[in-house]
Amino acid sequence: MNRDTQPLRGNRILIVEDNALVAKFFRMALERAGGCECIISEDVPEILSHVAAGEVDLVLLDVSLTNSEWKGQAINGIELCRLLKERSTRRLPVLLATAHAMSGDRERFLESSGADGYLEKPVYDSSVLVEKVRSLINPS
Amino acid sequence: MPPLGSIGASGIILRMSAPEPTRLPLESFVDEMKRYLHLLPEDAALLKELRPLMEKYLPEMAERFYAQIPHHPGASRVFTGGEAQVQRLKSTLQVWGRGLFNGVYDEDYAEDRYRIGFRHVRITLDQKYVISAMGVVRAFLMEKLFDEFPAREQRLAYSQALGKILDLDLNLMCDSYFRATMAHLHTLNQELEQASAQLAEANAIKDEFLAQVSHDLRTPLNSILSFTKMVLDGFCRDPEEEKEVLRDVFSSGQLLLRLVNDLLDISAIEAGKLALDLEEIEPRTVLDSTLPLVAIQAASKNIRLIDETLDQTLPTVKSDEIRFRQVLLNLLSNAVKFTAQGYVLVRALHNKHERHLRIEIEDTGIGVPIEKRNVVFEKFVRHDPKALRGVTGSGLGLAIAKRLVEMMQGKIGLEAGPGGKGSVVWFTLPLATPMSTPEAPDR
Repeated sequence: MNRDTQPLRGNRILIVEDNALVAKFFRMALERAGGCECIISEDVPEILSHVAAGEVDLVLLDVSLTNSEWKGQAINGIELCRLLKERSTRRLPVLLATAHAMSGDRERFLESSGADGYLEKPVYDSSVLVEKVRSLINPS
Repeated sequence: MPPLGSIGASGIILRMSAPEPTRLPLESFVDEMKRYLHLLPEDAALLKELRPLMEKYLPEMAERFYAQIPHHPGASRVFTGGEAQVQRLKSTLQVWGRGLFNGVYDEDYAEDRYRIGFRHVRITLDQKYVISAMGVVRAFLMEKLFDEFPAREQRLAYSQALGKILDLDLNLMCDSYFRATMAHLHTLNQELEQASAQLAEANAIKDEFLAQVSHDLRTPLNSILSFTKMVLDGFCRDPEEEKEVLRDVFSSGQLLLRLVNDLLDISAIEAGKLALDLEEIEPRTVLDSTLPLVAIQAASKNIRLIDETLDQTLPTVKSDEIRFRQVLLNLLSNAVKFTAQGYVLVRALHNKHERHLRIEIEDTGIGVPIEKRNVVFEKFVRHDPKALRGVTGSGLGLAIAKRLVEMMQGKIGLEAGPGGKGSVVWFTLPLATPMSTPEAPDR
């Protein structure tokens, strides 16, 4: 991968992922291979304030969020996605990441969450992740 | 499949568990049998007439009967009560014989006959013996009828009536076998259904376990692969960052290994394949070799590790040294893992009355809510995940500890720490000294 191309230069991506190592990988991959800026958070009010302020260009969202709560209740990525779409002040693509490698899940999750794209974990290749994110931020 | 009773050449030997029906709906059965056998009121009247005549033959009938049946090799199995039992049975048989000449053959009569049948079933006497015994009785009574009424035309009506009532009795007796068989099959069916439901449940648990395991195995494996790829792709800024990434790879590998080891342990325990080497153990040795392993972990988090047992003379316990150490290490590292600040403390209590040593590990960590204090010992149940940011483990540690402690005849439990903060996890191990040995005076 050519590091000078920087397909995500100038973009800011919010990573919501309960596994710290996976979040770290996403950040490194997106920053280094994509040239964008990343924010990692599992805190729902914090996530919402970033979104409401129009500070992010895309949310990379894990389906299972064991550490996140909203209004005293556990919240998963699907519910959070709907909330994000509701609160966002501008077009906000959401890329849903999940480890559920079962057939049928993809459609089910996409439909129920209103997310724009789907990323099946594990992802080892940063260029795949970057390209997926780019295609959602700038659909051509 | 569970055993379905033994099926031999003589048919199904019914189990003792076959329940006896309380009150049978016999009215229609008796009516139908009476119609079928042409057992008419006239017959009933004739049989009643026979009663005073036949009474004197009943003792002989019983003698004749029991001269034969209990000595059959197949039947002798159930006639084990000796002469006393046979005497009792003889008088019962006379009561039965008297009943034939009652003159009233209603559902109470049938009920009575059924009870006799069920008794035979309960003592697992084969139906074929009952049928042949009825044959013996029939031949005997017919012979006596011949003595009473030498003239054929006089005898005929009586012998027909007697034949009919004996047929009815035989039918009732056989039907009682049938009903007992049905009741038995019903019980077996219920047992099968229950077993099948239990299997389905066990299977569901297994599926869940498998899904959980594969998810838990994949998570560190994915980290290993993705971070290795990161380094290979040259995405690290400098050798320092490369090292940092490789440290993540390494710790993921360690987690993976721990998980695999724990899985092997738990499956060996659950398959009953984990053999313990129980011997007399000095707890001091185990404590001294285990605490330093957690000390590093604790020091890196600035947690004080306190050993309150240092000044104590600890009694020897009966346990497997390796497993004792495994349990202790497990509980200690758990305590350190879930404690952000404060201390982790080990204490030992010698309970002379219950003859065990209780080891307690107290921490000032996140604690476990009361409703979760039992479930944390189940597989893959972790503490409140909200408080668990960055904490990783197999989710099997406490489950293994519980099983190991129980295999060593001890107990394990979890309570709140002092003032309701943190937690105290404790386990007991039986003392090594046997009860009979006089104890040395305590110093």
